[in-house]
Amino acid sequence: MTDSKLRVRAVAKTYPGQDAPLQVLQDIHLDIRPGEFLSIVGSSGCGKSTLLRLIVGLENDYQGEILLDGQRITGTGLERGIVFQEHRLFPWLTVAQNVGLALENATLSEADKQRTIAEHLDLVGLRGFESAYPYQLSGGMSQRVAIARGLVNRPEVLLLDEPFGALDALTRATLQDELRRIWQAEGITMILVTHDVEEAVYLSDRVVVLEPRPGRIKRIVEVDLPQPRQRTDAAFVAIKDDVLSDFGQLPRPSLLPTSWPARSAADYLFAL
Amino acid sequence: MSSTDTLPLPLPHSRNLAARSLRWRQAVLARLRDSALALLLPAAIVLLWHLAARHGWVAAQILPAPEQVALTLFELWDSGELWANLSISLGRVAWGFSAALLIGTALGVAMGLSKTAEAYLYPSFKALSEIPVLGWIPLLIMLVGIGEAMKILIIAKAAAVPITINTQQGIRNIPANFLEVARVYRFTPRQLWLKVVFPASLPSLFNGLRYGLTNAWLSLVTVELLASSEGIGYQMVWGRQLFQLDVVMACMVVIGLVGLAIDRLLQLAETFLLRWRRSAF
Repeated sequence: MTDSKLRVRAVAKTYPGQDAPLQVLQDIHLDIRPGEFLSIVGSSGCGKSTLLRLIVGLENDYQGEILLDGQRITGTGLERGIVFQEHRLFPWLTVAQNVGLALENATLSEADKQRTIAEHLDLVGLRGFESAYPYQLSGGMSQRVAIARGLVNRPEVLLLDEPFGALDALTRATLQDELRRIWQAEGITMILVTHDVEEAVYLSDRVVVLEPRPGRIKRIVEVDLPQPRQRTDAAFVAIKDDVLSDFGQLPRPSLLPTSWPARSAADYLFAL
Repeated sequence: MSSTDTLPLPLPHSRNLAARSLRWRQAVLARLRDSALALLLPAAIVLLWHLAARHGWVAAQILPAPEQVALTLFELWDSGELWANLSISLGRVAWGFSAALLIGTALGVAMGLSKTAEAYLYPSFKALSEIPVLGWIPLLIMLVGIGEAMKILIIAKAAAVPITINTQQGIRNIPANFLEVARVYRFTPRQLWLKVVFPASLPSLFNGLRYGLTNAWLSLVTVELLASSEGIGYQMVWGRQLFQLDVVMACMVVIGLVGLAIDRLLQLAETFLLRWRRSAF
C-alpha cells in the first residue's frame, strides 16, 4: 500500500569509548522494499539495536546515509514508528490515552483520533480495555498496546526492537501470529530486530545476519515460504538451521532468554 | 474466593454487584479499624495524664488536668481569641508557603533540567539550607525588622528547601525511555512539559509539597514563639508568661491537630491525583 523505499547506504557508527573509539556498525548497506518484513538477527553487541535507533532518528551522529523515499533522515519523524523491547507505556495514562500519544501531532479531528484509536485497539485485540491503566495489564497486553501505539498514526515503516524479548514463550508465539496478521492486513514495512532466529524466519521475507565487533552484515537469507508458516515444516526448519549455523559457537544467544540476569564470574565461583 | 475477586481488571462485564458491595463493606470496616487503632495511643496518654493530674503526681499548676485543658480550649474558641490568632498564623503560612512554592519550584526545575545550573546553585543552596530556621532569625530581625516580612521569609525558607530538592529529583529521575517516546512522536516543548515532565515528576513534587507544608507549619510556631505579638505561637507564650499552662497545652493541641489536618488533606489530594499509581510499585 505504500511506495516508500528505505535505503541504508554505507552506514557506520562509532561511540567514543573510554580508551579508544568503539566502532559498533561498519559499512551497512540495505535496501528495504515497500511492504517488506525484514528481520535483523545477531548476537549481543552486534549493533542491531543501534541500527534501528539510527533509522528511527533517535541517534543522528553517524557516517553514511539513511534515505526514506530519497530523503535523508534527520531526527525522528511520524512516518517512522517504533516498538521498544520495554513497552514504555506512560503509567499515568489509560490504554487509549497511551495509544493517543502517537496522534498528539497528527492532523486529525478529535473524533477521527478517537475512532482510529478504537480501531487499533481492536486490531491488537484489546477492545474493552480503553480505560485500563498500565499497572492493570500483563506484559503481553502492554506490548499489544505498544504495537497499537506504533501503528496508530499509520507510519510508512514500523521498527520493532526485540518487542517480544521479555515475554514468556506462549505469549510470544501468540503475539508473533498477531504481528504477522497485522502486517499482512496493513501492508506496512516492518523491520524487526531480534535474538530469536525462529521468530525471524517465521515472520520475515528476508533475514539479515549481523556479525559483531564491529557490526557488519554477514549475509542476507531469503525466506521464500508461503504465509502463514509452519514451524515444524521441513523447509522452515532447514532455513532456521541454516541461519543458526551462523551462530555456531556456544553460547548461542538465540537460545538464552533475554531476561536472564547477566552472570559474573563470582556466580560461578560460589556455585562450585 | 470466586474468580471475579481475583480478576485484575474491573471491566463492565465482570462487574459482580454482590461481590462489589461485599468488598466495599470490607474496605469500610478496615478503615474504621485503622481509625480506632490510631486513637488508641492518644486515649492511653490522656488517661495517664488524667490519672497524673487527679492523684497529684505533678503539681496542678504545672500539669493541668485534661478536662481543664478541654474547657480552656472551648473558652478560647468561644471568645474568638483562638480563631483570631489561628487565622493570623494560617495567613502567614499561606504567604510563606506560596513564596516557597514559586522559589522552590523555579530553583528545582532549573537544577533538575540543567547540570550547569546545578553546578552553579546547588552548593550554595545546600549550605544555606543547612542553617536551621533559628539560625536565620537574628540576622533577619536586623535586616527586615521583627514584622511580618521576617516571619514570612522564615516560613518560606523552611518550606522552599524540601520543595526545591524534591522538584529537582523528580525532574532528574524522569526515565530517559519516556523522553525517547516523546521524541519519536515529535512532541513540542509544551507537550513535553504537560504530557511527560509534569506527570512523571508529580509523585516527587507531592513529596516536596507535603514536607514543605509540614516544615512551614513547624517553623511558624518557632518564629511566633520567639518574636511575635499575635498568632497561635504568641498565644502560647502569653499563656506561659501568665503561668496558665492550660492555655499552653490547649495551643499545643490546636497546633498538632492543624498540622495533622494539613497533612491529611494533601494526602487525600495525592491519592486522588496519583490514582494511576495504585498498587503499581
